[in-house]
Amino acid sequence: MDSAAASRAPARAAEGRLFFRRRRVFWLLPVLLLFLPPFLNQYQQYVVNTVLVYVLVGIGFNVVVGNLGLLAFSNVAYFGLGTYGSALLMAKLGWPWAATVIPAGIIGALAGVITSIPAVRGVRLFYLAILTLAFGELMRWTYVHWESLTNGSMGMTVPSAAFPLDTDRHRFYVFLVLAILAIVATDRLLRSRFGRAFEAIRGNEVAAAAMGIPTNRYILLGFAWSGFIVGIGGAMFAISVGQVSPPSFNMQELILEFAVVMVGGLGSLIGSVIGAAVLTALPQIFISFPGFQELVFGVMIILVLLFLPRGLVSLLARLSPLFADRFYRE
Amino acid sequence: MSDPSPLLALDEVTVQFSGLTAVDHVSFQVRAGEVCALIGPNGAGKTTVFNAVSGNVRIHSGAIQFDGKPIHNLPPHIISGRGVRRTFQNGGLFAERTALENVLVGLHAAVPNNLFALVLGTRKSAALELEATRRAHELLDVLEIGHLAGTLVGALPGGQQRMVEIVRALATEPPLLLLDEPSVGLTPPTRTQLGVVIRRLAAERGIGILLIEHAIELVMNVSDRVIVMNEGRKVADSTPDVVRADRAVLEAYLGHA
Repeated sequence: MDSAAASRAPARAAEGRLFFRRRRVFWLLPVLLLFLPPFLNQYQQYVVNTVLVYVLVGIGFNVVVGNLGLLAFSNVAYFGLGTYGSALLMAKLGWPWAATVIPAGIIGALAGVITSIPAVRGVRLFYLAILTLAFGELMRWTYVHWESLTNGSMGMTVPSAAFPLDTDRHRFYVFLVLAILAIVATDRLLRSRFGRAFEAIRGNEVAAAAMGIPTNRYILLGFAWSGFIVGIGGAMFAISVGQVSPPSFNMQELILEFAVVMVGGLGSLIGSVIGAAVLTALPQIFISFPGFQELVFGVMIILVLLFLPRGLVSLLARLSPLFADRFYRE
Repeated sequence: MSDPSPLLALDEVTVQFSGLTAVDHVSFQVRAGEVCALIGPNGAGKTTVFNAVSGNVRIHSGAIQFDGKPIHNLPPHIISGRGVRRTFQNGGLFAERTALENVLVGLHAAVPNNLFALVLGTRKSAALELEATRRAHELLDVLEIGHLAGTLVGALPGGQQRMVEIVRALATEPPLLLLDEPSVGLTPPTRTQLGVVIRRLAAERGIGILLIEHAIELVMNVSDRVIVMNEGRKVADSTPDVVRADRAVLEAYLGHA
């Protein structure tokens, strides 16, 4: 009994840090990133900015497929609606980009709520997958055919913005702040009773409800959160590419987004960040070999899923216990 | 026992599945501090009665009252919130989570944390989460499994898993606990321990316990009352001694005397 009590004390201290644990060492990375731009040329800077866009796209997607564990694939719709939403608010209403960020998130969140309806009504697995895929395709069809608004498949030009959004290098700092905010907010969400409710729903919905969790409300919330974060990613994408067209939101794009989540580590927030970095940046190395990029991309996915089914984040967890208990669970 | 109003009262409850009557006009009551066992052969409708009480199955006629208020056909999370908590025959635990995290899920309703405060990282929301963690540790200590807090539930032996599941169900201090075959897969000594825990919860905390169980010795040892079901109907409802003496009941419905 005494030894049990004694061994409990340190275990308890460790568990007490589970929530809102301050691990200042993790802030080192964003601080170091602040000094990155001078070392990059414009193209490299653009790639890094795209990584930051995909950080949001990945962590949002992960909430639904990784944490809630639902086979819902409307992510590309949230992304597209956020992108078009931001671009249209700028082009048609003359809003400054900064004012379109939250609306883009809200548009994404609304799309999240709409696509959560089948899931809330009990649709699961392949049926949910095909319904949510169809929604994504329907949105792409809309961008193509609502020509008066979106200029159809020609694509629309995003008005150029003033400082600090005028150059890739300046945008980088804005994007970095948004990515950090999204990561911190999602981390807090997932580490709280909301995250536990998501995980409980993934584990066993009947048991989750028996524990007093209103499962439908949490499914809706998970989709809305996902849509919000990804929609903001869309606003970043709009200002970053300057030219928005429907093919950016097709099936191939969805596969890339799914790969970000899977390669990083399904269900892991930091995994999605890693997945975004690796899958966006690595293929760029082979940019001068046409066709080779896709090959690298495909081989990378196969290798990671074969040898690290828990994603690249599991590798980090093996290397450092710091990652293991902060960001990764077996 | 002087309390005339029962904690849980089933009144002529009938459940049908596509024309098949799984539970046929069943009535019984469970009082606070009472351990009531529900026994019968497979397919007798025990689990369906459980699911009806916990809101996982709709009833077609009759009524289920908890604490004097009707709860039938309410969603499971509402019934859970009213104070009727259950365990599952299998798969009710989150195996890839620690014991502590499982109990934290059980505490869900007791952490009134609000999304915006949480995302903004207010002191209060952090305090609420820490308080929940502290409470979860306390709860694990009650059944003397505090040292398992950090262990993944999937790695625990069956008996300890069962204890974690009971702690999780008890997290919000429910007046009524439904235990669905808690002794499945347990060794005889752990079964005895489980019996002690069940008696303790009823005696010390005044929890009403409804228990589905096949292990007949456990039923006879812990129950104040035994309800026997067969083919959807209640066929006996009495003290263990009376039911035990009713050889017909045992032979017909349990296959051994």
